[in-house]
Amino acid sequence: MARAGGNAVGIRRRERKILLKGLLFTSPWIIGFLIFQLYPIVTSFYYSLTEYNLFKAPKWVGLDNYKALFQDEKFYKSMYNTLYITIVGVVPHMAYALAMALLLNAKVKGQSIYRTIYFLPTLVPAVAGSLLWMWLLNSQYGLINMALEAIGIAGPNWLIDPDWTKPSLVLMGFWGTGTITVMYLAALQDVPKMFYEAAEIDGASKWRQFWTITFPSISPMTLFQLIMMLISSFQYFTEGMVFAEATQSMGGPENSLLFYSIYLYQQAFSFLNMGYASAMAWMLFLVVMAFALVIFKTSARWVYYGGDK
Amino acid sequence: MTMFNRKSMALAGTTVLTLSLLAGCGSNNNNGGSASPSSGSSSGASPSASSQASESAKPKDKVEISFWTTYTDQDAGPITKLVDQFNKTNDHITVKMLGNQDPTKQLTAISGGAAPDILLTYWNNIGPWADAGAVLDLSDYISKSGFDVGTVIPAAMERMKINDKYYAMPFTMSMASSLMYNKKDFADAGLTKPPETLEELFDYAKQLTKKDANGNITQIGFIPDFPWIDNVFWPVIFGGSWIDANGKVTPNAEPNVKSIAYQRSFYEEFGQSQIDKFKSGMGKRGTPQDPLLTGQLAMFIGWEYHFMPERGEDGPIGVAPFPYPADHPELKGSGMVSPRAVFIPQKAKHQDEAWEFMQYLMQADTQVQYSLDAHVIPTITSALDDERLKVEENKTMWEFYERAKSANLNGFPNSAYINEYLQALTEETEKAIKGTLSPQEAMDNVAKKIQPLADGK
Repeated sequence: MARAGGNAVGIRRRERKILLKGLLFTSPWIIGFLIFQLYPIVTSFYYSLTEYNLFKAPKWVGLDNYKALFQDEKFYKSMYNTLYITIVGVVPHMAYALAMALLLNAKVKGQSIYRTIYFLPTLVPAVAGSLLWMWLLNSQYGLINMALEAIGIAGPNWLIDPDWTKPSLVLMGFWGTGTITVMYLAALQDVPKMFYEAAEIDGASKWRQFWTITFPSISPMTLFQLIMMLISSFQYFTEGMVFAEATQSMGGPENSLLFYSIYLYQQAFSFLNMGYASAMAWMLFLVVMAFALVIFKTSARWVYYGGDK
Repeated sequence: MTMFNRKSMALAGTTVLTLSLLAGCGSNNNNGGSASPSSGSSSGASPSASSQASESAKPKDKVEISFWTTYTDQDAGPITKLVDQFNKTNDHITVKMLGNQDPTKQLTAISGGAAPDILLTYWNNIGPWADAGAVLDLSDYISKSGFDVGTVIPAAMERMKINDKYYAMPFTMSMASSLMYNKKDFADAGLTKPPETLEELFDYAKQLTKKDANGNITQIGFIPDFPWIDNVFWPVIFGGSWIDANGKVTPNAEPNVKSIAYQRSFYEEFGQSQIDKFKSGMGKRGTPQDPLLTGQLAMFIGWEYHFMPERGEDGPIGVAPFPYPADHPELKGSGMVSPRAVFIPQKAKHQDEAWEFMQYLMQADTQVQYSLDAHVIPTITSALDDERLKVEENKTMWEFYERAKSANLNGFPNSAYINEYLQALTEETEKAIKGTLSPQEAMDNVAKKIQPLADGK
């Protein structure tokens, strides 16, 4: 690919032809990207500096929307809720998915059946899954509180008590970790067998093998999953919206389910503050960017790529 | 070097290619949709212009107009019948109806180039959409056609008004001005007639609430914020208001604050966590496990669409006027009105035809037929007394037609900032009901938050 040398004068005619052909073939994507991604992104940044209600021409207000954000208690509340679901949710979910992947990787009879079963919940649409869980979490008749009662614990009022609504969602999240499990499973099967053989000869325990062989070997997958889950949990929307239905309000009990994107949606489509909502979107972008940067910067210390030292 | 050159060439090429494409797209859009973002603000004078345009159009051809509703397929029967009838009798307009259009879809449609000609939506969308310039001001049409807004139930018509102009017509209205109760619960508690005043309601609630040995509620008399926190109904019952003549918002006026303190008193009486726990275990509304049907809940704020068959004479559910504050007997018959509104988008192409169809929807005959088919309350006052509605199969609606005549019906003022206002009320009312803030503090917060919006818009 990287052909060093060549002539520094410019691109020869033949190469220009190739370039044009290439552009022509990639143009569906390029056009799509420009119209449906780049253009909206740039426009939203412009709108974030205006007061805009979808109908009247945008009115330039400079940084007012951003200033107002920092004085908006619901901005902080929704950011807190979102950080909560991200920080409390992502790492346990990944750990759980990895544990499941390790189990599903074990050579047992009916392996493929287990794998199918653990992946199945992932196929349930978010709304349907959430509605199902609302029954499980029902504080009087729900299976979860019944189980807790059987061992002598009075279960909380999951969906109504503002302290428990987010933990409910985290709990439900374990159910939908099938995709991560499958990807971990794929990563696990890529770990060279000879490492384990060598470790076994040296008498390393399973625990030791996991931390010195398995975990470093699959660390690129961990990095990938971490970033993807971070992004998706910053955009947390559907499940929170459905759970809030239990109290018939958009943000749930005491706005404990007012996630950032739900608040953004409220500002945009209920209050018609498109400018403010655009500013919120850009703020979210900055926060996600910051988190992703931190993860990337630290990743050099814990991510190992095959062949690298 | 080559690499760099090749890359920069690619980039330049792509940019040129796509810029030209974008330019092409842009001009296309302008031609087709006649909808540039700025047209919204300058289109105040457009109704007359466009009406002339369509008048001069060929009169022979039938004009097709699109009518979007929120109704699901399941509920669309009665409205479909009306539309079919219109299409059969009208010689120059064909109405094409499209159901299942929720407000978000509607908003997208009326802001885009190809807006439907007439839409049915929830009344609280009219304020923000009208203020944004998306909804046609009906003043001209009303005065030209001689439509008498006085024939419409005032509480419903009032909801269509933003800054003293009518932007929509209330096709139907829902009304909360009744108390529904479980007859068996009443009989078991030895209660022979429904409560008259709010004080009695509270007293009844105590008598109708049962707890087991552990202090857990097993049956409850009344939950003021079930099934939702009602930030309009309760202030209406106490004679509250939301804005005064000088443009000052009044969520913290005395009656409003009282209405929240009253709701709070139930939680003080029965306990926050007990009510919450009991509430979350109640059966699903609208099913045979509905708490009012099973008797888990004895009394309930009733709308005209609740317990349609069960509230008949021999049914398990009783209906009564909602109680009033004992010290304000003049507030008897108070209730909240929530209409569904039909409106014409500013960008609609066939506004004249849409107005004609809208007038058809608001005729007494149409209203009567729809009320009969869909069991709703007509919004034309004269229709409330129409003999055609006094048929046996419609019997459970009769007393609601009577109550719809009350002068004490009210609703939330429509405005550009209505959704912010309602949202703030819900959030702060919730805090007050739970006792985090006092009712006065909570409502002062709302005033502080909303006054700037009221001043700005």
